[in-house]
Amino acid sequence: MGLRDYIIRRILLLIPVVFGVVILVFAIIQLVPVNSRVAVFVSSGNPKELRPEVIQALIHENGLDQPVWVQFRNWLDDMLHGNFGYSEVWNSPVLPDLIKRAPATAEIVIISAPIIIFVGIFLGVVSATHRDKPLDHASRVISILGTSLPSFFFGVILSAIFIAQLGWVSTGRLSYTLEGQLLVDQSIGRYKAYTGFLLIDTLLNGRYLYFVDALKHLILPATVLVFIQTAVLVRVTRSSMLEALSKTYIVAARAKGLSNKEVINKHARKNALIPVVTLSGLMVGGMMTGLIITETIFRFPGLGNWAARSAQLFDMPVVACYAMFSAIVFVLANLIVDILYAYLDPRIRLG
Amino acid sequence: MDTKKGRFAEFKTSMQPRIKEFKFTMNRVRKSPLSIAGLIIVLFNVCVALLAPVLAPPKLSDPFMIPRDASLGWRYEPSPPSPTHPFGTTSLQVDVFYGCIWGTRFAFMLALEIIVVIVIVGVSLGIISGYYGGLVDEIIMRFTDIILAFPSLILAMAFVAALSRSGWTTLNAVILSIILVGWPGYARLVRSETLRVKSEDYVEAARASGASDLRIMFKHVLPNSIYSMIIVVSLDFGTIVLTAAALSFLGLGAPPQYADWGRLIYDSISWSASGFRYWWTYMYPGIFIVLFVLGWCLLGDALRDVLDPLYRRK
Amino acid sequence: MYLTHFTGENELETEDIVEIKDLYLNFYTYDGVVKALDGVSLDIKKSEILGLVGETGCGKSVTSLSALSIVIPPGNIEKGQIVFHSAKKDFDILSLDEKSLAKLRGHYISMIFQEPRAALNPVYTVGEQVAEVYFHHRKEELIKSVITELEENLKKASGLKRSTYQRDLSLYKKMLKNPKSLSLRFYSKIPILRRFQNRMKKEARKEIVELLKLLNIADPPRVFDMYPHELSGGMAQRVVIAMALACNPYMLIADEPTTSLDVTVQAQILYQIKDLQKKFNTSILYVTHDLGVVAEVCDRVAVMYAGNVVELADVMSFFKNPTHPYAQSLLESIPRPGKKFVSIPGTVPSLISPPEGCRFYDRCKYALEMCPKTKPKLVEVEKGHYVACHLYGK
Repeated sequence: MGLRDYIIRRILLLIPVVFGVVILVFAIIQLVPVNSRVAVFVSSGNPKELRPEVIQALIHENGLDQPVWVQFRNWLDDMLHGNFGYSEVWNSPVLPDLIKRAPATAEIVIISAPIIIFVGIFLGVVSATHRDKPLDHASRVISILGTSLPSFFFGVILSAIFIAQLGWVSTGRLSYTLEGQLLVDQSIGRYKAYTGFLLIDTLLNGRYLYFVDALKHLILPATVLVFIQTAVLVRVTRSSMLEALSKTYIVAARAKGLSNKEVINKHARKNALIPVVTLSGLMVGGMMTGLIITETIFRFPGLGNWAARSAQLFDMPVVACYAMFSAIVFVLANLIVDILYAYLDPRIRLG
Repeated sequence: MDTKKGRFAEFKTSMQPRIKEFKFTMNRVRKSPLSIAGLIIVLFNVCVALLAPVLAPPKLSDPFMIPRDASLGWRYEPSPPSPTHPFGTTSLQVDVFYGCIWGTRFAFMLALEIIVVIVIVGVSLGIISGYYGGLVDEIIMRFTDIILAFPSLILAMAFVAALSRSGWTTLNAVILSIILVGWPGYARLVRSETLRVKSEDYVEAARASGASDLRIMFKHVLPNSIYSMIIVVSLDFGTIVLTAAALSFLGLGAPPQYADWGRLIYDSISWSASGFRYWWTYMYPGIFIVLFVLGWCLLGDALRDVLDPLYRRK
Repeated sequence: MYLTHFTGENELETEDIVEIKDLYLNFYTYDGVVKALDGVSLDIKKSEILGLVGETGCGKSVTSLSALSIVIPPGNIEKGQIVFHSAKKDFDILSLDEKSLAKLRGHYISMIFQEPRAALNPVYTVGEQVAEVYFHHRKEELIKSVITELEENLKKASGLKRSTYQRDLSLYKKMLKNPKSLSLRFYSKIPILRRFQNRMKKEARKEIVELLKLLNIADPPRVFDMYPHELSGGMAQRVVIAMALACNPYMLIADEPTTSLDVTVQAQILYQIKDLQKKFNTSILYVTHDLGVVAEVCDRVAVMYAGNVVELADVMSFFKNPTHPYAQSLLESIPRPGKKFVSIPGTVPSLISPPEGCRFYDRCKYALEMCPKTKPKLVEVEKGHYVACHLYGK
């Protein structure tokens, strides 16, 4: 069948799923009664205190009394033109907000992901190859702790220790004074935000102090994310490696005269990584979930925080947009992972 | 006289292999300290949940509402642990000890409710999907695909937000959302088991002897998948409670003053900004959560170690 | 090319190539200590095929793995020696260090396994895996032939090609002299520069294709690039055999190589093995539970029961005159048309608490009083025919 055909097939299978995702999100929005949905379109005054006629007028004006499929078409149409709705909580259109906040979250992810992957796989392999030795026991304990420790509890403790008690760093992306200064400088043009990524922009503007500060603020959220995700990865890598090491071809490789190290690195590892790769797709979903909680605790102005606050206040446009966004990211991540899997395992791509 | 004795002896011999398996299993469990730890923790949690009314006598009409201590007034600031309040109080003098104890009971009830529904729905849909195949299978599988395309917490959040907006209590919304997000996993598991059983010979034999189709499926698929399901269920006890706690933590779960660990930690966020000063507001609920989830995780792992060889031997 | 390599080294003084002396092996399990091997003694002679027969669980696979000093945990070798009589000197395989074992395995003693596709790594092509053995043990030869080829090319070439050849030549010469040099390791890690290794790989590929042809594999260049799951059972087994014979070993251990194959393919492989044995002049320790195979292929046969060798004889003598009661029952129980179905009553004893004396005692027709008390030792009843039974003891 070949790798190319496999990729094409997987992409084609994606389309109905994405379509289904869109439909499901729409269905969720429809759950909210029409009278409530109107609140989004109210430009002044308190939505709850409107007179019935005003509400009816708004409903009619915004097409909320049309049949479902018409509403659906209108909604799709809006989205394809970049209109994802308006948020009452944040008082601004949804899509631009998403784009504005994405870099902050991306920074956390970019810092955490390599650490998770390298440490997780390394510990998992070492754990499996030194089975039942102290290192194995230690990493197993850590990984069990990581899976049962809720991220919010861990985050609250870290926040209590490092932010409150020790005062090493503050919540948010930058310390209070620096952030204020940055905003001022930005408004008078002395600081240009080229990418939205603080780590890049601060360097491009030559503000090294700010760079260090931004980095410092990334440490705590990243730590929470890394701890939880690495625990999962270590567990899976360990069991996958143990499984691979029990196979006959390992004995055969030793019988060929290969040294222990060669056997592990050349033969076992490649086979063991295959299920691990599959899992990493799921980990992306786990990270997005973890980000919601982490950003809330550390008041980090990223996508997770945005979604959490909006959900708390039942702001449907934001929640719907975020749900779609995360689903698409998740689906894409799994697609990449599946392709990688086919690349690594000839049994899949050659049918 | 004779026949009774004979029948008992027969029963004994027929039980022999089962007893042997059981002894073998117990032996293996005994040798692993982590499994014992898991079992102890889970049993401890069960005891606390069962003894909740004894350990923390309810004072309000709904036992799951944590009583406030009027004698301490309506002070906002949490009070430290004292003889009357072993774990201290959190905002507005809500008793943390009461919250943790009844929180255990609440966690169990929540998890049980949700798991029962998820298992029934998931297993039925899984068997139907696997057995009938064709269009029915495709439709059900598309549903699971779509639901599983979302990270579970995010989809649950969206459901809770929408349902709450349309008048549901947040707590009921949470229960429904977790159910909606949780059944696809079981459906998939049971479906693959059904497909496997479908191709086995004894299904043909049963069909040949006239048994009705669905009945065969239930009769044969269930016992076979029970081992893997037990493992998943025990792990899910932990994850469901974690998800519910996470939702409560985000303000989307239990209402204020409710005996839910996540809610208690939500209430403690502002107090954690003072560092260790009000440590009891978040440490105690947090430890309870960790213990609960840890216990079920260890138990699930232990069950997997024990049941896997049995499963493979079959 | 193949048939003349190492023939000089195979001219041995002694008759035996490998001698297993009094091997004791235990498995430490949850349920107790399994005394799997209870003083196993065997010898494999030069250029012979020795069959090792026994039921599942009698310890034959464990014995064969021990010959390569491979012990799968929770096993542990308690006592004994396995002496390898090479052309130059004798070693006790069990006391060799890891480095020497790495040189021994795959090179002087090789092994082929029961499930051929399980013995091959699914993520590498078949050719890559055979080449692995090659690169591990015969690298020098490859380098030397690449060097000769390069020197030839250098004489004829000019201009840009000259410099390429010169650079590669110096690299290969360095590989011979100083394989661990820093520059070599640097070159091997960088993707573009790594290409100098392609010459070696091409050379190896040529030789392996020849080898695969010898094993009657059709279209060897195509098979070289195939993955294990794409091959049929018979084909895969041929590849595994090729892998084992690539370095012309003194001895080949065949652990039930045909058990998982179809009957027709089985016959082909058996014939192939016999043929190759003559060509390569290798000794073979052929582990099997099938007496038919033993009759077809083997020169001598050793029968194992519950961790002991109970009979050892040449094939003719064995089938004509099976001496040990277990061996006799085995031969009797082979079903034949017209004959009543006979089986051996009882079951194999538990090896966790094995009986003190003869382990076959409770199933033996001829049990004597001394049998459960003392273990019988192997004694010679006629020339080259040994039995461990008190019926024939002193």
